[in-house]
Amino acid sequence: MEIKEQRHEEYVTLTPVGDLDANSSVVLDEKIQEMLEAGDVHIHIDGSELPYISSAGLGVFVSHLDGIQNVGGSLVISGLNESVQDVFSLLGLDQLLTIVNHSEEAAQMFTKS
Amino acid sequence: MKSYLRVRCNKAYLANIRDFVRSRLDELDVHGKTSDQIVLAVDEACANCMIHQHQCDNYSTIEVAIFRENGTLYAEIKDSGKAFPIHTYRPKNLEEIVKLRAKGGLGINLIHRIMDEIKIEETPDYSIYIFGKKLPNSASGIDQT
Repeated sequence: MEIKEQRHEEYVTLTPVGDLDANSSVVLDEKIQEMLEAGDVHIHIDGSELPYISSAGLGVFVSHLDGIQNVGGSLVISGLNESVQDVFSLLGLDQLLTIVNHSEEAAQMFTKS
Repeated sequence: MKSYLRVRCNKAYLANIRDFVRSRLDELDVHGKTSDQIVLAVDEACANCMIHQHQCDNYSTIEVAIFRENGTLYAEIKDSGKAFPIHTYRPKNLEEIVKLRAKGGLGINLIHRIMDEIKIEETPDYSIYIFGKKLPNSASGIDQT
């Protein structure tokens, strides 16, 4: 799995490209872990190039959520297609995680915080 | 006759399983959100078998079949490993998973939320996971296999 990275003043955008499943999720997991260890605690996940997600992909976000919040960081997800959004909703994760429609909305959230 | 896809217990093949399931669902006239969710449920079950029952042993295999019977879509996963009690397993709640910072524990929850029927048949050689999903507006009696 390729992960594009774009640094902004207040946050970092990660764009995973391709299916996020039990095979590929370790790549994103390691990338987020690496960022947190480097002190990058405001993370934007641009999901616009994510055609599919399984529980292993969801697990990456869920497993880092507590750690990010504990250090005053934030995790915002944007740009999910309908099918991927449905997977978050099935488990009620859309209520637990911050999910917005577009990257612009995500940017505003980091600017506000 | 059911047509099976047989793959090695290597997570790299999960994408092939999803392609096969999507293609079979399309042939059986199951589309859209229902198709997406069934693909997900089968993916979760196969990943579970590969990781937990076979420790991703490349020499073990699992088989997947998709068929339609009496207005219900069935997914069948045939595994030579010991059966995981997926039908009775009750996953942790979300808050607990977040606090534990656990990466797993969500897949079986998804399967239970998506499928209407979950059962396991055990033979001396195989554990067979059978998932059923009732299809809306299906005409019973004219189903394909």
